[in-house]
Amino acid sequence: MEAAVVDAGSKFLKAGPAIPDQAPAMIIPTQMKRMLEDGSMADNSLCEDITVDPVERGFIRDWDAMEDLLQHVLYTGLGWEIGNEGQILFTDPLSTPKSFREQLVQLMFETFNISGFYASEQAVLSLYAVGRISGCTVDIGHGKIDIAPVIEGAVQHIASRRFEIGGIDLTKLLAQELGKSNPLINISMSDVEKMKELYSCCAEDELAYEKTKNSCQIEKHTLPDGQVITIGREKYTVGEALFQPSLLSLDAHGIVEQLVRSISTVSSDNHRQLLENTVLCGGTASMPGFEERFQKEASLCSSAIRPALVKPPEYMPENLTMYSAWVGGAILAKVVFPQNQHVTKADYDETGPSIVHRKCF
Amino acid sequence: MYGGDEVSAIVIDLGSHTCKAGYAGEDAPKAVFPSVVGAIDQMEVDDLEKTENKSGSVDSKNTVRTVDSEKTKGKRKLYVGSQALGFRRDNMEVLSPIKDGVVVDWDIVDSIWDHAFRECLLIDPKEHPVLLAEPSSNTQQQRERTAELMFEKYKVPALFLAKNAVLTSFASGRATSLVVDSGGGSTTVAPVHDGYVLQKAVVSSPIGGEFLSDCLMKSLGSKGITIKPRYSFKRKEIRPGEFQIVDLDIPNTTESYSFYSQRVIASDIKECVCRAPDTPYDESAYSNIPMTPYELPDGQTIEIGSDRFKIPDVLFNPSLVQTIPGMENYAETAHSVRGLPQMVIESINKCDVDIRRELFSSILLAGGTTSMQQLKERLEKDLLEESPQAARVKVLASGNATERRFSVWIGGSILASLGSFQQMWFSKSEYEEHGASYIQRKCP
Repeated sequence: MEAAVVDAGSKFLKAGPAIPDQAPAMIIPTQMKRMLEDGSMADNSLCEDITVDPVERGFIRDWDAMEDLLQHVLYTGLGWEIGNEGQILFTDPLSTPKSFREQLVQLMFETFNISGFYASEQAVLSLYAVGRISGCTVDIGHGKIDIAPVIEGAVQHIASRRFEIGGIDLTKLLAQELGKSNPLINISMSDVEKMKELYSCCAEDELAYEKTKNSCQIEKHTLPDGQVITIGREKYTVGEALFQPSLLSLDAHGIVEQLVRSISTVSSDNHRQLLENTVLCGGTASMPGFEERFQKEASLCSSAIRPALVKPPEYMPENLTMYSAWVGGAILAKVVFPQNQHVTKADYDETGPSIVHRKCF
Repeated sequence: MYGGDEVSAIVIDLGSHTCKAGYAGEDAPKAVFPSVVGAIDQMEVDDLEKTENKSGSVDSKNTVRTVDSEKTKGKRKLYVGSQALGFRRDNMEVLSPIKDGVVVDWDIVDSIWDHAFRECLLIDPKEHPVLLAEPSSNTQQQRERTAELMFEKYKVPALFLAKNAVLTSFASGRATSLVVDSGGGSTTVAPVHDGYVLQKAVVSSPIGGEFLSDCLMKSLGSKGITIKPRYSFKRKEIRPGEFQIVDLDIPNTTESYSFYSQRVIASDIKECVCRAPDTPYDESAYSNIPMTPYELPDGQTIEIGSDRFKIPDVLFNPSLVQTIPGMENYAETAHSVRGLPQMVIESINKCDVDIRRELFSSILLAGGTTSMQQLKERLEKDLLEESPQAARVKVLASGNATERRFSVWIGGSILASLGSFQQMWFSKSEYEEHGASYIQRKCP
């Protein structure tokens, strides 16, 4: 049986059997609704369903909800049978505290009774997906942005940076901006999220963004409840916020500058190798115009060596940026499990959860 | 007595230049960031503060002091960490908590620890015992203050303070050695015997990595090369494919910040090109050596010639400082300061005669500045000349530059993960029972 690979993101959970050159079998939203079981709710239709986000900013916060979600994914989605669980590989974001990893291992072995476990960092896996072992990953997800230089499969923790901004903050920004330009219309966050995915794009460069202030195409969008909303400059604002964080009221440099600065702390022999193998991944990075803008900003940044993006190999599926960590996990699973480098049930029973730090890098 | 279970300890080494923090048992610290902070005086920027709602790192748990702008006497907003410091802000001063090896500003130390725990390592200090590295000549008062801050504010379950020299010694597996720790702010030579530092024989000098970077900056300045800090320029594309550097005029940048930014670049130059000379520096001998190119962030390529060897030789011969234009104000201190080999000899001579032999044969190098090329060979050579005939001089340094830079931290990581160490922690209950002064007994 194939090992399962699970990449639990803040927005989407990607899971599937470890077949590296295909998209993951399941890409489902991580957000869940809590159903109230009490029969005594007479006015059920009036109260709102409570949405639960088990994964926040990349880390698993609500373990019970995660357990339910994984039950659905593994047994219903991947077709595992109780009593015959297989091996599973998880991905971790950058700077995962040790206790989180231990809790995950404990959950998997004790509640799900799996036979083998491995965990690896998302930055390294995204590089494997494009066929590299050294380079720099810029992972722009829903809940966080991770910039991680990797040398020969080892993340350089000293130089890596994690930002707690992501797609979710861009959605809030879009909601704010739309609220300013369409003050009479009431929109929910999930509608704004959909609009962001449909309309947002990146301006070519800073000057082009300035020009949109004066003249910009206005588009009309019809919401599910019938209201019509106009979206003009706001669609460029969302993309611009990643390069000019002052739009999100943050004191920080744009993403390319942050990349260059974090690389400058690594010893200079490796600079060329790291910058010339930059990989963009994450849902937000697949915004139209983002890659081109990134390349443009790269040529303007204050560094001797310009960041250059890696082109994914042709045999990889389209849209690799959305789930490159999963694909990398599938590649790694094919190597780790057959060679018995993973944590087995016997290891776990003998040593306890801390075995994960020794066996999984 | 703190039993210590599976929960791993945190090791923090707050140096004068960088702070290193991470989990015990690992081979390198997870978080390395500058141990200076940016501070904006609330009084000067009352109105600006009202509109600004978040600082440097986006996480809402950060060192913002929410203050009424009416009563802002002496309150400041602190920005910790390389991300926050890297962003230029109006009126932001760069402050260091440590002066001459002594902590003068405990608020800054507090904010640095907070940043390490909550933003870099993402842990709750209540659940992890903490091992702190302290300078070899720390006063009782400082130790008590540290214990107070750790137990009262962070509520750590257990604490231990270990001296830098002892930790370096452990990192190399020796109980007796002479540790030469040349870090960012100062150089300290301390003998360790059976795991204890011999206090009377500790010698220190203010010449460290930062001093060398300053010398390099002044020396380059005198040759007409100005280092432009990263925030002060922008690249513009004037024609497709052609770029030009445009200087940005930014008022309200404090001098300390621009000096700090320039020093960061100068440190990088120093780390890339400087080498310790094999013989004492001689102006005439090195005037004709080939120049090495180095590209600055703004695209300027500079050529560095004799400075490559002159700057590192300041460690061995501090009076060289007088020949660097712009550093004359350091001339008086340079007279009283001795070079590295002299410090080693002095320190060993202050020890008992019996252990001198052992100290000579196990001299350990630690600290960022010691990862300079050829430093070990030069030190060995100089010591062979100056030491007594019978002594067998051996200078040991780990080959890996990262290990030398973090050897104090690595020693702490090793110590805190030893099984036999778990009973030596100074636990919270002991602190509550006996008070902070008990630390002298528990952490010798």
